[in-house]
Formats: sequence, C-alpha cells, structure tokens
Amino acid sequence: MTKLKAWAPYLVMYAMAFLWVIPTLWVAETAFKPNPDIFSIPPKWVPSRLTTAHIAQLFASWPFGRWLLNSLILASLVTAGSLFVSTLAAFSFARLQWRGRDAAFLTILVFMLLPMEVSVIPLYFMMIRFRLLNTIYGAALPMIALPIGVFLLRQFFLNIPRDLDDAARIDGCSSLGVLIRVIIPNAIPVFAAYGMYIFNYAWNEFFWSLICLRSPQKVTLPVGLRLIQGAFEINYGLITSAAFMASLPSLIVFLILRQRIIRGIALSSGIKG
Amino acid sequence: MEQDWTVKSKLTRFLYRHRGIEGIVYVLPFAALWGVFLAWPVGYGIYLSLFEWNPIKGSRFVGLENYVALFRDVRFLNALANTFKFAAMAVPLILGLGLLFALMLWSWGRTCRGAGFVQAVLFFPYLLTVSTVAITWKWMFDPDFGLVTHAFKALKVPAPVFLTEPAWALPAIAFATAWWLSGYRMVVFQAGLGDIPQELFEVASIDGARFRHKFLHIILPLLKPALLFSLVLTIISAFRTFGQVLMMTEGGPGRSTEVLALYLYWTAFEYFKIGKAAASGVVLLALTLILTLIGVKLLGLKSELQ
Repeated sequence: MTKLKAWAPYLVMYAMAFLWVIPTLWVAETAFKPNPDIFSIPPKWVPSRLTTAHIAQLFASWPFGRWLLNSLILASLVTAGSLFVSTLAAFSFARLQWRGRDAAFLTILVFMLLPMEVSVIPLYFMMIRFRLLNTIYGAALPMIALPIGVFLLRQFFLNIPRDLDDAARIDGCSSLGVLIRVIIPNAIPVFAAYGMYIFNYAWNEFFWSLICLRSPQKVTLPVGLRLIQGAFEINYGLITSAAFMASLPSLIVFLILRQRIIRGIALSSGIKG
Repeated sequence: MEQDWTVKSKLTRFLYRHRGIEGIVYVLPFAALWGVFLAWPVGYGIYLSLFEWNPIKGSRFVGLENYVALFRDVRFLNALANTFKFAAMAVPLILGLGLLFALMLWSWGRTCRGAGFVQAVLFFPYLLTVSTVAITWKWMFDPDFGLVTHAFKALKVPAPVFLTEPAWALPAIAFATAWWLSGYRMVVFQAGLGDIPQELFEVASIDGARFRHKFLHIILPLLKPALLFSLVLTIISAFRTFGQVLMMTEGGPGRSTEVLALYLYWTAFEYFKIGKAAASGVVLLALTLILTLIGVKLLGLKSELQ
C-alpha cells in the first residue's frame, strides 16, 4: 500500500505526459510511414518500414526551405526592431521626465490587449498603398511596436536602482550613456525573456501573414502549411511531414533553451499573465 | 577633431536645456510605428465601418447601417454565438488543465525524478504554430484513420465523427486549443505557486490541514491575481480564435464552427463587403474592450500601472 502511494505521483505524472505527447508522436510517425501503413485499418502502430518519401515530395513540390527562411527573416526583423524601439521608449517612460509622459504611456497601454483583427482591413489597404503588400516588411511592420514590450521593459527598468543612474550622470554620462552603460547591462535577462517571447510570437503569427503574404514564394511557414493543406486535403503523409518539419526548429531550440524559455515566461508572467 | 567636439558639446548642452524634448525623442521611433500600424488602423477601421465600400462607384457614407445589417444577419449572429460558445468551452479547459498541471508538478516536482521532463512535455505544444496544431488534430480526429477514432473503436464505443458533426466540431477544436495552450498557463501558475511562502503550508500541516483545505484556504486566495489575470487574457484570446478553425473545419460543418474572426475574414477577403467586415471588427473590439475594462476593475490593474 505504501509502495503504491510512493509510486502514484510518478504514475499520474508520466501518464499525463504520455497522453500529451501522443499527438506529436503520431504526427512524427505518420510523416515517416509509407502510405499503405497510414491508411490501414486496424492501425499499424509499428510501420512496416520508414520512408522519407513524403519529406522528399514536400521539398520537391513546395518551396519549403524558402518558407523557413521567410519565417526566420520575419521573426528576426520583428525581434530586433521591437527590442530596439521598445528599449528606447521604455527607458524614456521609466527614467526621463517630460510633459505628457504618463498620459502617453497610458494611451499605449490601452492598446495592449486590443485585437489585431480590428485593424487587418485598414492595414491591408495601407500596405497596398505603401507597396508593402506581399512583402516580408509588410508582414513585419505591424508587429514591431507592441505595447507589451514597452510595458514589460519599463517595469523591469523601474527596478534597477536609480542611484546607478545618478552615479553615472555625475561621472558625465548623458541619458544615452546611462541607457547603454547602466540600464542595458542590467536588463539582459529581461531582454532575453522578451526577445524569446516576441520571436515566438512573430514565428507563429498567422492571421495578418495570411492576408498580407500572397505568393507561394513569399509566405512564412504557418501560411505555407495552410497552402499545402488547401492543395491536398487528404495527403496525410505529405501534410504531417510538413507539420513535423515545421515544428523541428522549435523543438531543437526548445531542447537547448528549455530552462531559459520557461524561466522567461515565469519572469514576465506577473505582467502578461 | 576640435570641430567635432564643439558640435558634440553643443548638442549635449541643447539636450540638457531641453530635457523635456529628449524624453520624447526616445519614444519617437516606437510612437511612430505604433501610431501608423496600430493606433491609426484601429481608428480607420471604425471609420470604414460607417461606409458602404465600392471601389468603382466610390464609397458611400451609411452611418450605422452596417451595424444594423450585421445584427440582422443570421450568419453574423451565429458567428457571435459560436465565439461565446467556443470561449465557454476552451477557457475553462485551458485554465483548468493549466492549474491541474501546475499543482501536480508543484506538489510532486521536488520529490519525483523527471518532473522537469514532464513539465517540458506538457509545455512544448505551446511552441507549435497554429497550423501545426490544426494539422495534428485534424489527423488525430480523422474519421477513418485518426488515432482518436481508433481509440474509440478499441474501446468498442461508437466514435463521433468529430470534425464533421455539428455538435462535436466546436468542442473538438476547443480541446485541440487546450492541448496547445494549457502548458503556457501551467508555467504561469507554477510561478505563482512558487511565490507562496512555504511557512504557510508548514503551519497548516501542523494544524492538520488536508490538501483540500490548503487548496481552498491558501492556494486559491493567493493565486487569485494570477488566475484572474489569466482568465481575462485567455477569454480575449479565445474571442480572437481564427487559425485553428480555418484549418480544421473552415467554419463547417454547416456554419457550426464559424467564429467572429473567421466571419470577418470571409466577409472582407472573400465577399469584399469591407464596411460590414469592418463593423464586425468593431464589435470584436468592443467585446475585447469591455472585457479589458472588467479585468482592470477586477484586478485593480490601474494602480499597478501608475
């Protein structure tokens, strides 16, 4: 009885984890199963042989590598841009005095939770006019000035002791000097946390990208998967191999940075929920 | 060299004298992007919702006609109802599972080996893109070859045809969404649980409190802010659900899974009824705004922002 009690936590935890990982494993397995095994009743748990035919077909008939690159470019642009403008703004909101500052900050905050869906139609017309429709810049620009970034970074900057600023200023630092020499070195963890958040956000963004990116060469991974799905509704070997290949980068990054990613969420959870 | 120095010191002196301007200069890059790509489109969307859009004949001001038409449109009302139904299913699932996982890892994590691995497995779906999640679950729910269907058959229970039966499609999508997102909530709740002072539990244990009491009298009250915050944010994100539905059912069968965002998308980009689509966007905006305000009220967020 006591033995069972000691084992129960393991049992429950691992059962839960197993249930949770099944869909992913099933997709990964399907991606490498030959077609007759995919469409067999009863199911073939252990495939008769493994095949890379679906993945070969994926790369042969779709610009999958191009999509991967597009996603990488989009997410990097958004991450770099957002870190840059948010850091400057958060520094100003946290450390500099100017008239109308608090009102400006509140105005931005009101937009923190507003849904993008409201603005996709105006954005669409705007991007046509700016000649940015169907470009990676058009997809990236609306994601850069996210209020959440300013909010998060400001919150963190406020916790850096003000004495450090004053000391630097006495030593002759300008505001920019304070930002570069005092604030930024002290805020590396929160940059990492927010950087990962925004990268993941941009990497996975679907709604606006679907509207903005039109030609198969220009789309990002999430939209590319939609194109494949639209083309072959029932070719599960191909579509699961695409899903598998698309999640491989996330999996690799996650395996390397697991602790950091989870700690980053915990770090920002007080603010973002 | 000398020249350079004077310019620099002049600039420094200028900035020093106009420190008020300096603060604005730092905000400018953000404010410009934010204004052009976030604030202005929202305003313009509201403006568009007052017009009947016609690229050839020119747009015509119609006032609130689009809204009237919207609330007379059975399809829109259906989408609105589906949005609420979806939120009512997905939100408790996401938060409930997240809390359950967090409690599980929190109470056993320190003594059990491999808790980190379990946490990783439960969290990982969050990193997947919505298209991958949709493809995964469409395949899981496939009426002939899907794993869920096989499982039902193995248990000798007649399997519902999840994604093609109107009654089952929305719950199935809600379930897939919970699989996707509950790991994120788990991490947030874990952080909240970690902040509860350990002494409280020790005192409670000495008093002979059982887990149920600890949960009701220590964990729930202290976790309340995190729970409420997550509740508001999860409801808002449920209202905006789009990708899963588009890729798993395209709003079908019938229109049983057509949610607001999907309705907006079809109306704007399939039928080019721009005014009406913009109006439905404003309705979504209003719903979100109401929820945000309720959230602010509930959480006393305002004081935190100052």
